[in-house]
Amino acid sequence: MFRDATYNDVTRTEAIQEAAAFVMDEETFRAFYDRTSRGVWAYLARITGDRQLADDLLQETYYRFLRASAAYETEAHRRNSLFRIATNVARDVRRRQLLRPMAAVAGDEIERVAGGDQAGAAERHTDFERAMSRLKPRERAMLWLAYAEGASHHEIAETLGLRTSSLKVLLFRARRKLASLLRHTAAPRGKEANDAAL
Amino acid sequence: MPRFECEFEAEVLAAVSQSRWPERVEAALRAHAVACPVCADVAAVAIAVDASNQEMRAAIATPDSGLVWWRAQRRAKREAAKAAGRPITAIQVLALACSAGLLGACFGATSGLFQAALRWVQASIGAVNWKALLASAGALMGSHAALGIGMAIVLLLTPAAAYLMRKD
Repeated sequence: MFRDATYNDVTRTEAIQEAAAFVMDEETFRAFYDRTSRGVWAYLARITGDRQLADDLLQETYYRFLRASAAYETEAHRRNSLFRIATNVARDVRRRQLLRPMAAVAGDEIERVAGGDQAGAAERHTDFERAMSRLKPRERAMLWLAYAEGASHHEIAETLGLRTSSLKVLLFRARRKLASLLRHTAAPRGKEANDAAL
Repeated sequence: MPRFECEFEAEVLAAVSQSRWPERVEAALRAHAVACPVCADVAAVAIAVDASNQEMRAAIATPDSGLVWWRAQRRAKREAAKAAGRPITAIQVLALACSAGLLGACFGATSGLFQAALRWVQASIGAVNWKALLASAGALMGSHAALGIGMAIVLLLTPAAAYLMRKD
């Protein structure tokens, strides 16, 4: 009886360990994480609009990535898959309406650095935060992948679950919207500066 | 119809990402970006996104890779243990449901009280004058048609509106 119980326990433990094993080994994972985590965190913070939330979602993203147990042909393929998972993780959270307003992204840090030469940079940063907060999450994701991560149209489409053929137009519209918002927020300040200079 | 792309877009983007924009690029490209709306937008957006990306990456401290690996392993084991226990629970639930169903069937077949209640329900349904009920509903709709249609529209559109509001 005891023998059976012990045998069953061992079998169960082995089964659990087997089920919990990842395809990727620790060394490979750690190297991959060190290469990608900052980019993924920035992407999550940007599309969710919440830095604290990005901390939590980063762990969730890498967990899902490890559990996916997929074999990747190239580093780019692996990286795209990671960003696709990050997108889905953020989307799940948004669906559960756990997001806070986008304005919380930069928060107090911008106010604190605003002094001397840094004031201009901080103001530009605030303009950017404000403009980004007026875009849809998908638009933010598209622009970030294109201009921060340098992803190709095909990679962005794959990450966001869109058709490559429609991405060009969507990206164009998002870019035009952001550029217009940036110009509108920057324009009044430029006029004030000119007036002051005169 | 607006132009979505420009042949010089990639050059502008490369110059921005290599921090050459706008001082260390050819004057012709700079002049082109002033005149071309696509390249002007690319430059404006790429500069802003790149600056924000640099700032964010410099400011953050992501958790150590070893800690992330350890947490992931712990969670995977916990979930695997939970999943391993699930078939037993499922079988137990099935057995309980079968027992409850069998017991209910026995009770229903043998209990006089249950049989009487069943007969009462059948009689009550049979006693309803459906024709009169439909006629009065028709009359009500005739006198308050607009209100009825309005209410139906609201009932139909409210879930759709709620879904669309939550969507983005």
